[in-house]
Amino acid sequence: MASGEEEATTFLSRAASSLPPPHAIRDLLFHGVCVRCIFRLFGVSEYDDSCPLLKASTLLSLLKERRNIPNAISENGSIANGLTQCPYDPHASGNEQPYCSVCLGILQFTNGHDQDLRTCEGNSVSVLTSAITEILKKEAHQIDGFSIEISLPPVVSANDRAVWLYMKRRYASEEWFIGKLLSQQISVKDALRSLVTTSLESCLGVKSSSSSFCIRLTYIHEEASSKLQCSMQKFHGFKIRKTETYCKEHMVDDLCGKNETISGEFHRCDSDAVVHCTLNAMQDDAFSELFMLPPEKTNNGCKLTISCYRLTVYIGGRYLKFSRRVSQSRWMIEDERMGEASVEEIIGSNTILVCGGDSYKFHAAGREDIDVRMLGSGRPFLVEVSNARVMPSMANIQEIADKINNSNDKYVAVRNLKLVGSEAWNLLREGEAEKQKQYAAVVWISRPVTEEDFNKISSIKNLDVLQKTPVRVLHRRSPMDRKKIIHWMMVDKIVGTSQYFLLHLCTQAGTYIKEFVHGDLGRTHPSLGSILGCRAEILQLDVTDVKMDCFD
Amino acid sequence: MEMPKAELSTPSSSSSSSSSSASLQNTKEDETLKTVPFPSAGDRAPNHEDDLRSFLLPEAHHLPVTPPSAIEANFTCYFALDFLKPGHDQYIYRHANGLCVIGLAPTHVALKEEGGVVRVDFNVGKSDRSEMKVTGKRKRNAKHFESNTALCKVFTNGNFFLARCCVKGSLLEVNDRLIKQPDLLNTSGYNRC
Repeated sequence: MASGEEEATTFLSRAASSLPPPHAIRDLLFHGVCVRCIFRLFGVSEYDDSCPLLKASTLLSLLKERRNIPNAISENGSIANGLTQCPYDPHASGNEQPYCSVCLGILQFTNGHDQDLRTCEGNSVSVLTSAITEILKKEAHQIDGFSIEISLPPVVSANDRAVWLYMKRRYASEEWFIGKLLSQQISVKDALRSLVTTSLESCLGVKSSSSSFCIRLTYIHEEASSKLQCSMQKFHGFKIRKTETYCKEHMVDDLCGKNETISGEFHRCDSDAVVHCTLNAMQDDAFSELFMLPPEKTNNGCKLTISCYRLTVYIGGRYLKFSRRVSQSRWMIEDERMGEASVEEIIGSNTILVCGGDSYKFHAAGREDIDVRMLGSGRPFLVEVSNARVMPSMANIQEIADKINNSNDKYVAVRNLKLVGSEAWNLLREGEAEKQKQYAAVVWISRPVTEEDFNKISSIKNLDVLQKTPVRVLHRRSPMDRKKIIHWMMVDKIVGTSQYFLLHLCTQAGTYIKEFVHGDLGRTHPSLGSILGCRAEILQLDVTDVKMDCFD
Repeated sequence: MEMPKAELSTPSSSSSSSSSSASLQNTKEDETLKTVPFPSAGDRAPNHEDDLRSFLLPEAHHLPVTPPSAIEANFTCYFALDFLKPGHDQYIYRHANGLCVIGLAPTHVALKEEGGVVRVDFNVGKSDRSEMKVTGKRKRNAKHFESNTALCKVFTNGNFFLARCCVKGSLLEVNDRLIKQPDLLNTSGYNRC
């Protein structure tokens, strides 16, 4: 412990000017404020976690030494005479410390993941750090950085203010207090963040930065929060209209009667943001009326929930579909799969296999029917991977592509697969409505094809077509008239047939090709049939180009 | 050609599928995927385009002499013969999604008269069926009909006939082209099942 005491002494010489005199410290300790909180309330930071100063008794004894008060106290000894005036006795309750009345146990690290660890030596942040590391190991996360998100109940900052106002009231006349400002306080959040960050960085060997991996610590104290809500109600109650008074009073009764958090549904329960706002706007005198100064002691600590997850990973590329029995998205009718497979599932499942994700979302720039192949350069798509265990590398991405392209089924292929940022969303949506698409359709007409037909078709440029919602989708889409443009058309003869040809067309996005060919009972006009003056049928359709710059 | 019709949606529509039902004929082509032209990254070489074009052309012997029509392929064709009156034959083409197309069958008495159909009037006394506007995915304002509800009046040179709904459902749309071109009902070459 010798070096520990050395550290403590060095630290104290730096901190001494900020810290209050012993009698003030004893008073705070008496009111249940933990040692870490005392330090941060006076702006003392950069505090080494392992320093034995955390024990109240040690702190006091060292402070006595510094101020050259006789009766040096050993760690295990009893308190000297000169201090008996102050009611605080650091040894009275033995090893058990109650929860801090200000930070509600947050900075005492009494909760390592739902356990009560008050009796652990030193109340070290390593308790928390090991809990986090455990989770990372269990979930097999591979990280090269992390960012910490902390969520604390608003009552904690209310407590900070309450302590401050208490001290102001009591010590305003004392010399050491003059010049001290509320703004010099280090918030619980900042103190916690710096403690945890330092500890995690050394434990995990990676730096904290604005990273794609998030470690979220959520602290909840139901009892203290509902008492705060009660006070908020009272505060709001001073200002509301008479007609609402009756309801509010009943709500206040309900809230104060139970020691549980009530959901916002049927009782007015302000959100954290609203509470913060209201508290910030509140004047000191109003605050002092509503809250106990200093804050009451509490018998419960905060409940901590740790969640570690990677932010969404986006992978984009273009896909081709070679089968006429594979739909784009998963298609189920009453638990039965329609189609042999889906592009979404083939790409998505292989992606989360390699990335180790929890789930995926598949998005594409437009879609094609199950019986239509997607050829040419492919259709741009995006896969969102939730909570990937591994940040995919170039090799990983290639692995995904290989898995898909080399599969036995050969239903789907991908190209230009790569990691993209969240801006990919906008890229995908951007040109969707304007971009042109190119198709090849096998068409049959009810009479022999002539050269004149070919010429007529090839000479058409930017033809306006009015399409009513096709009957085949009318059950789930709005009945409306859509004006679309056929930009150009080209014909290839099919040798050996007299009434067939291969029609190439380039159309505006959103054009229903099948309906343009057969006319959809006259609801698409003009149609290929009406142009040629006969009946036209479409036998098969392929998409041959999606003209977008995306993922090209 | 043009189809005479009114359309209804039966309330209990069967499928709410996310893509359309398979509607195109298989040309019995063999999906020989090792020959699929698969462009590598940024491949725009002209030989790729030619490959694709030749890949798209089907073999003549894979193609049926006369393929089924879009109606035959996508609808189940029903006929209501002598519906409420002798000779009043109507068809009901039912799509897999539950929508039905109603029209006069080629054997309908109106079509046998001299000059055929000369006028179609959607005003059947209670309301003008051509005036209604159905909007939105939920098909608001669609009127609910019974099987004997009148859809429209079909006029010939000497007579008029009532076309009935034949099924229970909600009317989504009428073929308002028949108002200006009633002759479309006479050119029933498309009317096959």
